[in-house]
Parts: sequence; C-alpha cells; structure tokens
Amino acid sequence: MKILKYTLGLLLSIFIASCSSDDHDTMEDLTGQTGSLILKFDNGIGNQDFIFGTTYTNFKGETYQLETLKYLISNVRLTDNQGNTYTYPEEENIFIVSEANGNAAGEIYITLNNIDAANYTHVTFGIGVDQERYASGADGQGDFLTTAQDEGMMWSWATGYRFMRLDGTYSSPTKTNAALNIHMGSVGTSVDNYKETTLAFPNEVLVREAKEPSVHIKADIAQVFDGLTSVSFDAGYAQVHTDEITTGVIATNMSGIFSVHHVHND
Amino acid sequence: MKKLVFIILVALYVMSCSKSSYTNDYVPVYLNVEQPDNFPEIVYNLDANPVTQAGFELGKKLFYDGKLSANDAIPCAFCHEQAFAFTHHEHTVSHGVNGGIGTRNAQPMQNLAYQSEFMWDGAATHLDFQPIIPLTSEVEMGETLGNVLNKLNADTYYRKQFPKAFEDGEINSENLLKALSQFMVMMVSSNSKYDKYVRNEDGGELTEIELNGLNNFKNKCATCHATDLFTDHSYRNNGLSINPKLNDKGRYNIFENPKDLYKFKVPSLRNVALSLPYMHDGRFSSLEAVLNFYDSGMTDNGNVDELFKREDGTLGITLSTYEKESIIAFLYTLTDNEFLTDERFSEF
Repeated sequence: MKILKYTLGLLLSIFIASCSSDDHDTMEDLTGQTGSLILKFDNGIGNQDFIFGTTYTNFKGETYQLETLKYLISNVRLTDNQGNTYTYPEEENIFIVSEANGNAAGEIYITLNNIDAANYTHVTFGIGVDQERYASGADGQGDFLTTAQDEGMMWSWATGYRFMRLDGTYSSPTKTNAALNIHMGSVGTSVDNYKETTLAFPNEVLVREAKEPSVHIKADIAQVFDGLTSVSFDAGYAQVHTDEITTGVIATNMSGIFSVHHVHND
Repeated sequence: MKKLVFIILVALYVMSCSKSSYTNDYVPVYLNVEQPDNFPEIVYNLDANPVTQAGFELGKKLFYDGKLSANDAIPCAFCHEQAFAFTHHEHTVSHGVNGGIGTRNAQPMQNLAYQSEFMWDGAATHLDFQPIIPLTSEVEMGETLGNVLNKLNADTYYRKQFPKAFEDGEINSENLLKALSQFMVMMVSSNSKYDKYVRNEDGGELTEIELNGLNNFKNKCATCHATDLFTDHSYRNNGLSINPKLNDKGRYNIFENPKDLYKFKVPSLRNVALSLPYMHDGRFSSLEAVLNFYDSGMTDNGNVDELFKREDGTLGITLSTYEKESIIAFLYTLTDNEFLTDERFSEF
C-alpha cells in the first residue's frame, strides 16, 4: 500500500513537472531577452535589379540612367503578434540607404541591435526626417549630421536634409542626356514631406538572442516616377528640390515603393 | 633603486589621477539667457541645449577659430565683427576662402534666441543648423563638418574643452553646433538708449528730435519693423532694382515659388547705425540713402509688397526731410554700446 502511495506520488509529481514543462514550451518567456534583426534593402526597377549606368524607361517613354541612388530611413518600429510596438532608440534610429554601399547582390543592410525578443508581424519606417527630429536642432543627433553631409544628404544652400538623391541623366523626344536630379526633402516647417510606410511580414519574424533573422525589403525605384502619380521628366520632374507640389508628389510615390519579399528566421 | 620605484609609483599615481579627472570634467555651471522685459519670449529651446560656462567658452573659441574654414584663416568672426554689430564692416557683399565673393551682405548677430528663422531668405530654420550654411559655402568657409571635426580632434584645447562642455564629451557635430548656439543665444542687445527709454530706466531720456523720430517711425516703418526686435520676421519684396550681376531672387531660391521672387527678410534695426552698408546686397552705405530710397527710389520689379503702394499707384513711403532726419536720430538711439563692447563676446 505504501509502495502504491509512493508510486502514485511519484507519478503525480512527474505529471506536474511534465505539465509545467509543456506550459513553458508554448508560452516562451522572452522577458529581458534581446536580439538583432537585419533589414536588407534591395533596389530594383520593376522586375529588374537596379544597376548603375543601366538605361531604364519610365511610363511616359522617357529613358534614364542613375549614378546616385540614396534615401533616408528613420523611426523604425516593429509590431509583434500581441500588438505591442517596439521602437528602435531614437538617437540611432536614422539610416542612409545608399546603393553604392550595397553588397554583390545589391543589398544594403540596416542592422538593428539589442531589440526586444518577440514574434514580429509588421515593420513601420519613415522616409526622411520628421518635424519633431528636425525641431530638436542638433540635440540628440550625435554625429549623424556629419554622416549625412559626407553622403551629400544635406542641403548646402539651406539647412535641412535631402530625403532622397536620385542623380543621373534622362532622354526624351525633346532632350538628350539632360540632367536628372531628384532631391526631395522637407523645407523647414513650411513643407513637410516626411512619410511613413508599414509593411506586413509574410510570416512572423522571430527575434531571439541566439538568432539573426532578416527581412528582405524590395524597393521599386520605378515607382518613384510611376507610383500613385505618373510623372514626366519633361513636364517638371527632372529637377525636384523644394517645390511644394513636385516634392509632395515624389514623396507620396516614394512612400509606396517598398514591399517585403521574404523573411529569414535563422 | 628605491628612489626610482618611488618616482615611478608617484608618476603612475599622478597619471591615474589626471585620467580619472579627465572623465569627470563635466561640472556644468549654468548661465542665464537674458529675457529683457520689452522683448518677445525666447523661442530657442534652451532645455535641449542649456548654456553652460564651458559650453559658452567653447562656442566663443569656435566662433573666432579659422579652423572652421578650408584654409584655416576665415573664422565666423571674419564677416561678423563685434564693433560693427557683428557685420562685415564696409563690405557690400562678403568674401571668403580662395578669394570667393558672396552674393549677400553679412547680417548682424544679436538677439538670435528670439528668432526662429535666419539668413536673408530664411534658409536656416533652426539656430543650431545655421552655421552649416557659411561653413560649407564655397565662397565663405568652404569646409565640411567632417573635416572641421578632424581638425578639432587634433587640437589639445578642444580635446579638453568638449568634455568640460558636454556630458558625453564627444567631439561631434551635435556638440560643435550646440556650443556655437550657446555662444550665439547669449548675444543679447537690449541696453540701447531706446531700451532704457521704454523701460523707464536711467539714461533713457530721448531728445525732442529722437521722440519725434520714434513717432514717425511708428507711423511709417513699424508695420514691418515691429516689436522691440524691430522685425515682424516676414519676407518682403521692397522694390529694389534687380542687380543683374547678382540676380538674387531671395526667398524664391528656397521654395521656387514665384510669389517669393525678390523677397528678403525684414531685418532687425538694432545697432543699425553701425551695421552699414544696408540691404541684402549692401547697396546703400548710409541711412540717408535708405530713407531716400523708400521715399522716392523704389522700382516695380513685378512683385513689390502691397504695403508700399501709394493711392496714386506709385511705390514708396512718403517722407519729408524732417521725418527722415528725425527717424535717423531715433535709429541712432538703437545703438547698444554695452553690447558692442561686451568682453564676453570679444576675441581678446
């Protein structure tokens, strides 16, 4: 009888132990755990990879080649499967994506370190610099102003950031190898061209201490000119700098060029 | 041998001491930015960049240091001389590195903490960022932030002073620009004879012609030269003929908006007796010339401010000889000698 009692007790304790262990597996405790995540930006033109010096054609039949392709990404936030939002620390939360810095596959990496471990479902980021960051002046910018200037992403004749730089040439029925410079940005507080985009992941991105997941983001540069609005270089869009209307059209088009192609969880 | 060990030990001790004190150099002594009774509120965000003694001194050193320019010879103060209300004395437009000639007259520097936009066309919308424009301009200082920081990093003074001025001690663009702003926001000119008059202080007795001038000024000039900063911060086209050599389109250059053609900032008139020559291109060398222009020299360049249109359709502000004389007498009461000789802002 005593043996039975002991046996029962033993079985019960094994059962409880196995139970709690099962619980642990389904409700993984991620408290305090951090990991990294790589956002891989991959510029393309429609269904082609983007390559400097290659001639592309826009919707209006004008052809163009680019020698500079850069844009500013900021305010990266991640949303997890519980609906919580993780925001990358503000001081480091601004990046320059420059095609010239791409690897052999034409991908430019933004590595986010020490982010909260979670199962993420969406990423949100801004293109350019928001009014709040701009209004803080030099405060909290560290050396980003120097980086931006070195990359040619600041105005020189006025204070402010270029949100993007597409420099090259275009040809049309009326022009041959004319200058093409798209330098859209905000102008002080008067013209605000900062826009955000939110992209859903096809499957959850698992950020964990021992893993380095990545998100492959495609940027279709063709949509800068053929996005929500199709623009013609000949009709005022070969030189876009500060004009309220043309910069607004480009900013809106620009916010729609991104999509998540796939994610890697390893 | 014992002696040698002792010396080495003492040396090690001293070195460790100086090293630890190096990391604890940030002991902020806060300075107050003046808020004169007759001024509008400060708009510069001092919470984000509180002025400290060490930060102010660093900013002053930078302001007077040629290292901020490509040839190490053109400091900010080159075009902003204290005795002339921080303008480039007797220069219509300024010159900079490698013989470069600018297109505009250097503006006075004073009361910057009370303004949110800078330069003749408002190209700078934050005081912290303003220095980037002259620093990088090919005809002014012709430098880059990165190069300037490299030079500062190689300089013993700056390696010591940045950690005194900023908690993180970094020699980076954030702290460089913050130090310059700390120096600039302290530059308050508020003790002219006129200020003492409006605040009922000793030394504020205006003569009859100065009082008449003030009255005429209020009637004829104060719509644009408003408040005790003497500017409404707006950009206006005041009917100057176009100088074909410069063809400076003013604020149009910022937004490419035809409505902004030939518009320039309404300048403050503080210390105006000393900030000659006048207008964005320094074309007038005396206040008499300026008032004669407003009375009878304006031209219709296609976009002149409505305020200048007389009932008969001509352009200008009608001023009698005495009105001009008295307004000039009044403008002289805006000279603030305490500010112009304040040693806190002087190079030596």
